[in-house]
Amino acid sequence: MFVKPFRYERAEDLAHACEILRSHGDGAKAIAGGQSLMPMLNTGLLDCEVLVDISHIDLEDVGVRDGYLELGGLVRHARLASDSRVANSQPLIATAARHVGNARVRNRGTLGGSLAHADPSAELPLVMTAIGAKVLASNGSEVREIAAEELATSFLSTQLAEDELVVAVRVPVLGEGWGWSFNEITRRLGDFAVAAVAVLLRTAEGKVLEARVAAGAVGKTPIRLGGVEAALSGASRDELAERAQRLDEVDPPSDSNASAAYRKKVLGVLVRRSLLEAFDRAGVGESGAGGADAAESGAGESGSGESTDGSGRGEGQ
Amino acid sequence: MTSGGALAGPFENEVTLSFEVNGRRVTRRGPGHLSLLRWLRDLVGVTDPKYGCGEGVCGSCAVQVDGQVVSSCIVLAAQVDGAKIETASGMCGDDGSLSGLQQAFHEHHAAQCGFCTPGMLMAAASLLEDGRHRSRDEIREALHGNLCRCTGYGPILDAIEAAQAGREATGPRAGSETKLVAG
Ligand code: FES
Ligand code: FES
Repeated sequence: MFVKPFRYERAEDLAHACEILRSHGDGAKAIAGGQSLMPMLNTGLLDCEVLVDISHIDLEDVGVRDGYLELGGLVRHARLASDSRVANSQPLIATAARHVGNARVRNRGTLGGSLAHADPSAELPLVMTAIGAKVLASNGSEVREIAAEELATSFLSTQLAEDELVVAVRVPVLGEGWGWSFNEITRRLGDFAVAAVAVLLRTAEGKVLEARVAAGAVGKTPIRLGGVEAALSGASRDELAERAQRLDEVDPPSDSNASAAYRKKVLGVLVRRSLLEAFDRAGVGESGAGGADAAESGAGESGSGESTDGSGRGEGQ
Repeated sequence: MTSGGALAGPFENEVTLSFEVNGRRVTRRGPGHLSLLRWLRDLVGVTDPKYGCGEGVCGSCAVQVDGQVVSSCIVLAAQVDGAKIETASGMCGDDGSLSGLQQAFHEHHAAQCGFCTPGMLMAAASLLEDGRHRSRDEIREALHGNLCRCTGYGPILDAIEAAQAGREATGPRAGSETKLVAG
């Protein structure tokens, strides 16, 4: 842990933060919760001249307005996991947040930080892609709206400019008739995902009307599974398993966590499970109800109430 | 108390930070790039949080910052200037007596080499804080971010369950962890 020294600057407000970032260009990095940045600095994967502390800027609002849930860029994972407004309006976000890292990470890490870091195996960028969230980015004077799906351009890379910060994320409140599901496979609880899947599904009379299916950790960014989505239209519950296998466009990487072939195999399993779960939740009617229950039962430290089997729960910790 | 040592300055990037560490106000001047873990160990001289991985995954550096458990190795000290920091040694009474949780660790042989123990204590204290009863599986799951290379975890789970039972018998705020959870 012999970090290359940098200068610390605390940003007083958004304009100040963007100003410092602008004036230092490549040499400056913004730090919010620091749960990805600090490990990278500690291990020498990254260095910088100036670290701009944006964590004291007032961007921690959670609000529901006009059918949209709006989350400030500095809302921490622990809050996403426990705030009933999040669980009621988009249970997918609350559930995904409970899968992030461990309790210590969730106490510090922020939504904006996770999106800007753009790790393809991270939970929040994945669910935002599935939901079709809008990411609001500001350079201190102008705010622009970016589709969550287009925010990440590659592994740990985004289309954010040097002086732009994620100030908020806006997602539609989950409507009537929609079901949701989040599942991931990790080698040990809290590890980076080998594969992760988020699904939103609308059904009527036992058939799929609309589906949004996204996967994490199987590409350079979270991806929509277009083949699966297209195949789902009009599907009954019994047809979901077969349609979950339309994964031709997915070409996962091999790394120390898993081989490409294994990733693709478990991806198919996760998609099938998630579709079934989302389908059943959609059928229940009140779409938000399941999420509220889940939030209550998992609101404590235990965090990962809904982890998929196969995640190694209960093994060597 | 060290106030320089390995980190004798001056550094170009110096900052002055002030923390309340286990109830004691400590102001030090040091490099602005230090993690909270290094600040505590090298500048304040509180060495019970341990450096294991430096990446937030092992939990041996766990401390509470304003009542919330964090990995001090991946918290930049300057970011939390002014915070109330509690470490495992702060659980002891003023006379050095052990808290209920520490006593349970002792009785159940939950420490072998002891390197993970301060972090385990912080994780356990944070978990039990809200007074809600946790099953053994829930405790195991909540500790998934704390690694132990010696005990096999069984004795640690035994100790935490025993401490929980002790609190449930005598009231949730009994024992000297009250000091820890007050913030
Ligand atoms: S040393 Fe901080 S989590 Fe391992
Ligand atoms: S007692 Fe040695 S690492 Fe836990």
